[in-house]
Amino acid sequence: MNRPDNVIDVQNVTKTYASGALQVQALRGLTFTIARGEYVAIMGPSGSGKSTLMNVLGCLDRATSGTYKLDGIDVSQLDDNQLAEIRLKKLGFVFQGFNLLARTDALRNVALPLFYAGMPGKERERLALERLTEVGIGDRARHKPTELSGGEQQRVAIARALVNDPAVLLADEPTGNLDSKTSAEILALFDRLSSGGRTIIVVTHDEGVASRARRILRMLDGVIISDTPS
Amino acid sequence: MFSYFIEAARVLLANRTRSILTIIGLVVGVATIISVQVAAQGMAGAVNGIFKGTNANTFIVFPKERQGNNVRAALTLSDLALVQQSVPGVVSVIPFSQLRTMVDAGHKRVRLRFGGESDKRFSTSPLVAGRTLNADDIAAASAVCVISDNAFSRLFPDATSPSDVLGRSVYVGSKRYVIVGVQGKAKLDTAALGLDVSSDVAIPYTTYYNTYQRGSSFFAISVLGAQGANLTSLETQTQKVLSQAHGAQYQYFDFGFIAKTVGGFFSIIGLIVGAVGAISLVVAGIGIMNIMLVSVTERTREIGVRKAIGARSSQVLLQFFVESLLLSAFGCLTGMLIGVGLGVIVNKGFIARISGVTGGIPWLEVIVIAVGFATLVTLVFGTYPAYRAAKLDPIEALRYE
Repeated sequence: MNRPDNVIDVQNVTKTYASGALQVQALRGLTFTIARGEYVAIMGPSGSGKSTLMNVLGCLDRATSGTYKLDGIDVSQLDDNQLAEIRLKKLGFVFQGFNLLARTDALRNVALPLFYAGMPGKERERLALERLTEVGIGDRARHKPTELSGGEQQRVAIARALVNDPAVLLADEPTGNLDSKTSAEILALFDRLSSGGRTIIVVTHDEGVASRARRILRMLDGVIISDTPS
Repeated sequence: MFSYFIEAARVLLANRTRSILTIIGLVVGVATIISVQVAAQGMAGAVNGIFKGTNANTFIVFPKERQGNNVRAALTLSDLALVQQSVPGVVSVIPFSQLRTMVDAGHKRVRLRFGGESDKRFSTSPLVAGRTLNADDIAAASAVCVISDNAFSRLFPDATSPSDVLGRSVYVGSKRYVIVGVQGKAKLDTAALGLDVSSDVAIPYTTYYNTYQRGSSFFAISVLGAQGANLTSLETQTQKVLSQAHGAQYQYFDFGFIAKTVGGFFSIIGLIVGAVGAISLVVAGIGIMNIMLVSVTERTREIGVRKAIGARSSQVLLQFFVESLLLSAFGCLTGMLIGVGLGVIVNKGFIARISGVTGGIPWLEVIVIAVGFATLVTLVFGTYPAYRAAKLDPIEALRYE
C-alpha cells in the first residue's frame, strides 16, 4: 500500500469549546504536517492549547473546523466508533501518570489493545511479551504495576502504546512523574525508538525533554508561534 | 465474546472482597427462596406419603351446622346399623368418640386420648402384645382396653416389655379397664404432625357408649371402609342414606381434607417466604447496581484508558454488562446450591424423621428460579451502570482523579 510521507496533516484546524454562554477558542487555525519517522515536541504554557491539540491529534476529540489527516485518513468527520478504531490501529498513547490497569500484570496491560482488536489470547501474549522485551523489561512481564518502579511502569505503558504498531506514538509529559535518572532512561528509550523509525510526538513544558526531539512546535493562545528544529 | 467473560472474571477476581460482598444479598435471597421451595416440596411429599401410609379408609360424618332442625339431624345408635347395612363397602360404623382425659395406672396419672374402637380396627398401628378388641368385647361391652405405645411408655415407665402390662388395669375416673393388648408405633408417625385421631386408650365402642354417651346423640359417626374401596363414593352414599333417614343435611371429613389443608398451609408459607425473598432480591439487585455504579466511578480513569487505547463504547458496555452478569450468575448459582442444601437438610433432618418420606428436589423449579433471577437482576440492574461506563467521555475520564 502506498503510504503518504506525512503521517499527520493538519489544515486550518480550530477547536471551540462552549463553556456556558462563553465560547472558548482553544485552537485558532493550525496548519502543519509531521512526516513519517519525525520526533516532534509540542511545547507551550498552560492554556496554550497544547492539550487540546494532543486530544485532537489523538482522535479523542474532533476539530470544530479544518481537516486532519492521520496516516492518509481524514478523521475530521468520523463518528465515535470509527475514532475508536483509528485509536486502536493507528495511535499509541503514553501518559504522564502511566495509566496502567492496577491489579493487572504488565503482560496483560500491554496486551489490552490487542484484546479490543479481537486477537486470540495466546497471540496477544506473545506480541505483548515481544514489546516488553523491546522496551527492556521482558523479565518483569508477570509483575503488577504496584510491584514496578515508576520507570518500569512507564516502560510498560510504552510497550502498550507500541503493541499495535501504531503510525504515531503520542506521549503527554511522559517524564512528568519520574525522577531525573529514570527520565533519562525513558528519553533514551524514545531516542532509540525514533532512530528505529518510529514517529513520536511528545507534549511537554520541559525544555530538557523537548530538546531531545528533532523539531519543536511552540504554542501560545491556540496558535503555533514557532516551528523550529531543536 | 468468550474473552469478555475471561476479562470480566479477572477483574472480579482482582477485586475479590468487593465481588463477594456484592453478591451476598443475592446469595441469601436466592438461597431463601430455593430452600423454601425444596422444603415445601419435601413437605408436600411427606404429607402425601403420610396419607398413603395411613389407613385412609376412614371418615367421619356429622350434621351440617346451622340447619333448621338440629334435633332431627342428630345421629343416634340406629344410624350405625343403618349405614352399615345400606352402604356396600362399609366395614364398620361406630360413634365418634374421643376424649382427652386423665388416665390412671396406679402410681402414674397422665392425660391421654381416650375413646371407643371397633373389633374391625380403625387404628393402623401394629399390635405388639396381647390381642385386639374382639366381637365378644363389643357385644358384651366389656371393661377392657388396648393401649398405644404412647400410653404404654407414659403410664408404665418401669415396664420392660409390653407384655408385662397385659392384665393390669387403668382407671378413667372411677371406671377400671383391663389391658388386653398393646399397640406399637405407627409405621408413619401421624401423631407428631398432630394428625392422629386414634385413641391411646381404646375401649369397646359399646362400653364407651354405655358409659359416656347413653341417652345422648353423637357429635359424629366414624366409618371404616373396606380396603381399596372408593372413599368418596362411600362418603357421598353415607351422606345420602343419612339425609334420607333424617330429612337433614350431613357433611363428612377425612384425612384427604387434612392433607389438602396442610398442603394449602405450606403453599401459603411458600408464597409468603417467596414474596419476602423476591423483595430481598430486588434489594440485592439494587445492591449490585450500587456497587457497579461505584465501580464505574472508581474506574473512570481505567475506562478512559481503555477508550483511549481503542475500546469502542459498545465494548466497554459489554465488559461491564458481562461483569454484572458474572456477579449475578455466580451469586444465584451459589444461592441455589446453598438453598438446595438447606432444603435437603430440612427434608432429611426434620420432615423425613416424621414421615419417613419426602418429596424429591424440584430441580426444574430450582434452576428456573436461579437462572431467572440471575437474568432479571443483570438486565434490570446491570444495564444502567454498563451504560454509564460506556457513555463516559475519554478525555474527561482520563482527567478524572
